[in-house]
Amino acid sequence: MRVVIAEDSAVVRAGLIEILLDRGHVVPAAVGDGDALIEAVAQHHPDVAIIDVRMPPTHTAEGLRAAVALRRTHPHLPLLVFSQHIETRHVEELLAGPDSGGVAGVGYLLKDRVADVEEFLDALDRVVAGGTALDPEVIAQVLGASRRSRQLETLTGREREVLAQMAEGRSNTAIAEALVISERAVEKHVSNIFSKLNLPPSQIDHRRVLAVLQYLSG
Amino acid sequence: MIPSPAPSRRPTWAAFVREPFSRQAWREFLYGVAALPVAVAGFVFTAVSLVASAILTVIVVGLPLFALSSFGVRWLGAVNRSLARRLLGLRVAPPPRLLLEPGLVGLVRSGVGDRPSWRARGYLIVKLPIAIVEFVVAYLLRLGAVWFVLAPLQWAANLGTERVDDHGMVRHYVLNFGSFYFDTWSKTFILVGLGVVAWWIAPWALRMPLYLDRQLLADLLGPTSLASRVSQLERSRAEVIDDADAQLQRIERDLHDGAQAELVGLAMKLGLAKEKLAATGSAGDDQDLARARQLVDDAHRSAKLAITELRDLVRGIHPPALDEGIEVALATLSARSSVPVDVTVTLAASPSPAIETTIYFCAAELLTNVAKHAKASVVHMELVQSGDLLRLGVADDGVGGAHLAGGGLSGLADRLDVVDGQLEVLSPLGGPSVVTVTIPLQP
Repeated sequence: MRVVIAEDSAVVRAGLIEILLDRGHVVPAAVGDGDALIEAVAQHHPDVAIIDVRMPPTHTAEGLRAAVALRRTHPHLPLLVFSQHIETRHVEELLAGPDSGGVAGVGYLLKDRVADVEEFLDALDRVVAGGTALDPEVIAQVLGASRRSRQLETLTGREREVLAQMAEGRSNTAIAEALVISERAVEKHVSNIFSKLNLPPSQIDHRRVLAVLQYLSG
Repeated sequence: MIPSPAPSRRPTWAAFVREPFSRQAWREFLYGVAALPVAVAGFVFTAVSLVASAILTVIVVGLPLFALSSFGVRWLGAVNRSLARRLLGLRVAPPPRLLLEPGLVGLVRSGVGDRPSWRARGYLIVKLPIAIVEFVVAYLLRLGAVWFVLAPLQWAANLGTERVDDHGMVRHYVLNFGSFYFDTWSKTFILVGLGVVAWWIAPWALRMPLYLDRQLLADLLGPTSLASRVSQLERSRAEVIDDADAQLQRIERDLHDGAQAELVGLAMKLGLAKEKLAATGSAGDDQDLARARQLVDDAHRSAKLAITELRDLVRGIHPPALDEGIEVALATLSARSSVPVDVTVTLAASPSPAIETTIYFCAAELLTNVAKHAKASVVHMELVQSGDLLRLGVADDGVGGAHLAGGGLSGLADRLDVVDGQLEVLSPLGGPSVVTVTIPLQP
């Protein structure tokens, strides 16, 4: 697939390109700031964009702003956003896209994750397939800060594990693989979680993640 | 080339001759003339306000009135300073501002007890005789000199006086010193000589009262040496604080752009290498290959660990959330809190980065304390600006019993000391608790 990269650090950019080329992907453009990213997307029509949050000129959340802008102008472009540190607020901004259906996949990961080549490529695939990929750190933060600790206590240990995986944006199949259980078992856990937490059941990953996150931070 | 010695400022005759016409002499002359009306106004105001307040103290209003007169004498002091700055080139720093305490008692205490005002009163009283001397020397001496120099012309124009002296003689003269009459054409030239001498003496003579005036101006209308030392220290401390914060921010950015990026790049390469090694057919008993896999695996793990540690370190140095402003940073903090927090921020302008950092760490510490000890169900956090002060209030409905002696809160108090901030804890047993942090906007 065709991947556009926006990352101001030359070392990380080179590393990303190397990994992507190694897997037979194409990188038509690798840029160093938000404006250049928006231009590159308009010019190359990539299948996915990988974006670093902190870029010149302000070195604050340039990348995030560019991502939010792309979300409006190119709602079908999957985005994978990287950050040196996790801000729950950034997740909210990224997920709070247009409500209409058919919204493309979105990912928000700690920069460290690119070091785990498999994990990174897996997240990239999930996002391109229209799913969601949230960093485990985001989930840990949201879970830790959740005001629903009493309801969460009613979940079994396994159900919590499934909930965390679900919140990261994994499909039932992926959860089954990760926890080494059968897909049927995952489905059972998921429906238990939804009924215990009074969540509206949904099959679409993206909606499911949103529902879980909204529930946890609500 | 041998550097020539700096020309010595030895007064020469030429300089002496030019002196009465120098810029400085004219400015001093102007000062001597202008200082009199200012001195009269200052003296009258000071004397009247003293006397009137003393009389009116009988019907209570005297003291508040006197307190308010402090503004008047300070203003007159400022007029004198500005006159001296413009005409004498004497720069005297203004004393620290007069801050009135609230309420009538506060007004009286701060107004009457204001030391710079008392010193200004002293100056305004003593200034009157000095100003009179300055005026006489500056104005009358020169006027007289001109009049003397013009004496022959007066004689020629027949402008002299006529009078019968004690001996019954009719005198026609221009001026007399006792029984010595300047009554001939040639004698009037003595007056010309005297006038010339007076003209050249005038600027030097004026410098004597001016010297005294300068001393008094600096001693009585400036800040006391202690006050000016304090304000100097306050300024330099504010600079140090801002410098330190800017430096931390620079370190954070350098780490982010340098070490962190390099480490991520390194970890990526190791990750890729690890995969390639794993994919290399596990052909036979290649011990070196197994060892290499192990090494790359370890290196990969170390690199990832280093990234995590570096991130935690950076967060302690300068919280990245602050880059987007204190409001965003506080919102992020409260999103992470396990107790629900509602945040209100009302700021007219954003405070300096150093103040923002302090506020951020205070809020973080207070929220951690609430989560750890308070057993609260809700927290209200508010950051407001009132005048020159920033106030951060954190209120919870928990069990209370927090006190300043505890480790966390006393650590906060230490941090606040640096920026002249204050910490107030209201936390009765059984709750609720209210902790208020107050920080001056200008450190």
